[in-house]
Amino acid sequence: MENVIEIKNIRKSYPIGDSLLEVLKGISLTVKNGEFLAVLGPSGSGKSTLMNVIGCMDGFDSGDYFLDGEAIHKMNDAKMTKIRNSKIGFIFQKYHLINKYSVLRNVEIPLLLRGYSQKEASEAAAQKLEQLGMGGRLMHKPNELSGGQQQRAAIARALVGKPSLLLADEPTGALDSATGKEVLELFTELHKAGNTIVMITHDLNVAKYAERIVNIIDGEIFDNK
Amino acid sequence: MRFTELLRMVLINILSNKSKGMLTSLGIVVGSATIVLVIAIGQGGKLDVADQFKNLNAGAIEITEGMSADSMMEQFMGGGNSGAPNFGGGMPSGLGRGRASGKGGPQMAAGGEALTEDDVEDILALVPNIESASLLASGSGLVDGGELDEETSFTVAGVQPDYASISNLEILYGDFFTEYDVEDKEKIAVLGYKTAQDIFGSAYLATDEIITIEGKNYSVAGVLSSMGTVSSGISPDEAIFLPYSTAEKYVFGNDIAPQITVVASDVGEVENVMTNIEVLLNENHPNAMFTISDAGSKMEAASKSANTLSMLLIAVAAIVFVVGGIGIMNVLFVTVKERTQEIGLMKALGSRKVEILLEFLMEANFISLFGGIVGVALGFALIPAVEFFGMRCEPVVLGGILALIFAVATGTIFGFYPAFKASGLTPIKALSQD
Repeated sequence: MENVIEIKNIRKSYPIGDSLLEVLKGISLTVKNGEFLAVLGPSGSGKSTLMNVIGCMDGFDSGDYFLDGEAIHKMNDAKMTKIRNSKIGFIFQKYHLINKYSVLRNVEIPLLLRGYSQKEASEAAAQKLEQLGMGGRLMHKPNELSGGQQQRAAIARALVGKPSLLLADEPTGALDSATGKEVLELFTELHKAGNTIVMITHDLNVAKYAERIVNIIDGEIFDNK
Repeated sequence: MRFTELLRMVLINILSNKSKGMLTSLGIVVGSATIVLVIAIGQGGKLDVADQFKNLNAGAIEITEGMSADSMMEQFMGGGNSGAPNFGGGMPSGLGRGRASGKGGPQMAAGGEALTEDDVEDILALVPNIESASLLASGSGLVDGGELDEETSFTVAGVQPDYASISNLEILYGDFFTEYDVEDKEKIAVLGYKTAQDIFGSAYLATDEIITIEGKNYSVAGVLSSMGTVSSGISPDEAIFLPYSTAEKYVFGNDIAPQITVVASDVGEVENVMTNIEVLLNENHPNAMFTISDAGSKMEAASKSANTLSMLLIAVAAIVFVVGGIGIMNVLFVTVKERTQEIGLMKALGSRKVEILLEFLMEANFISLFGGIVGVALGFALIPAVEFFGMRCEPVVLGGILALIFAVATGTIFGFYPAFKASGLTPIKALSQD
């Protein structure tokens, strides 16, 4: 099985006043194709920083990072932007749907950014929303939906571009437990369908839905495999 | 992202908050309307100047008896340039260069010796580079005849034949009088267009008819084409022109103060011609003073004055645009702040810097273009209102085009910085902003 993520000895520090705070202390991590991994850690452990690095939204000081075989550590901002669009599907805690656009348009965005025509993007987005049980909500505005429905729309947006990696940051953090459970079951289904998922969470009950859990504590990874 | 999709996104953004877009564009609306009005007023001013001088040649020089107030002041101060004459053809006074001539002191300003036909002959004979010259004496006379119910006062002007070409008068019906008519003191008259209408009901009916001026019969030799409004002096449309000698003998008597209008054959020689006329008149009238001034510099001064007004108004419009542009910039900054999370999301999903930059810049452009279109329409709609207050306006299509260009340019310039700031946001910081 090929590795989707291959991280080797990544370090990252932030300046705090005159000193540097090392947030990631030589992290190494491998995620195989089709794997469902949970990164579990308490607040301040460096899990968000790790997610930003994995999501190509932030650089790092040293180390190597290969995503789907691409050497991210050698890329500039523009190339990382392209990688974000083509290889990663983001699922955020707060959904981050744009309220002035319809649900359909929100899901079209990754494809439009990829250069699809309106028609192509619309067809693909509608199909993905149908698959996730949102077919009756295509033209609704996000703020007209429940939290669970909004997260489903956000998951549709993450999946529509057929990314190599689904990267979820506390995906149930803004949901009640019942709805959160539904979303996690959806993740399980997506995993079974062959999607590679990395989920960042502080909640062990959430992490348990993953195939594998790694703990991050004080910027270091403890792999439980 | 395809450009059409970017455009669609921009339109959705603007239409999702129409009232904000409209309020943002208010400054541009006012700026564009101002540009349209400014150019219309400027063009109206230029046409006004052209109208004022349409009955004058650029090489025209006027000689009047006495000294203008300006000339008197300069004589006291030791200078000698500037004058305020009143050209027969309708020259506004108080503009341009002129000079006072004569050996007498300021007490002679009221004059003592009138200009005569001999002076005109001397000028034509002795001063080089003269194309034509004419005496002009004007006053009012009681006229009867035609459809007039009673004697009515009209402006009567005694002129020499060259006056027609000097003042660009065109004959509509009949003929202007000749040198022989002046020599023979013929009792013939040439009517201005409106005068002919007032007396006979129609300019066409006036020729060869008889009118009485100050109790004497005159045959109408011709009617002039309509000249329209002239700013001052004799309005040709409202005057009756008689041979100078006839007017002197039968209407004005000896108590007149005529003026001479001379046209230099070359505009470049006007200065020399004025100097030579000054010398000649000093010889002919050692105890009199005359004011000599030229039309060209007056036209130039009037044009400059109109241009200065235009520039002033354009400066006002520019200030309005700057204020409007700052308004757009402020609103865009607020918009960027409001939409920081959206920008972060778009960047996280793979939107390039240039796409974010273009999105915000196009929003600014659309808002300013909308403001420009509304402003141009408003500007053209307001032209009749401005004219109602007595200011001449001439709508110019170029004004509308310029206003639109200025509007879009303002949006681009002032929208660029907020758009640039938006495009430079990092996705992590933008997404984490509340």
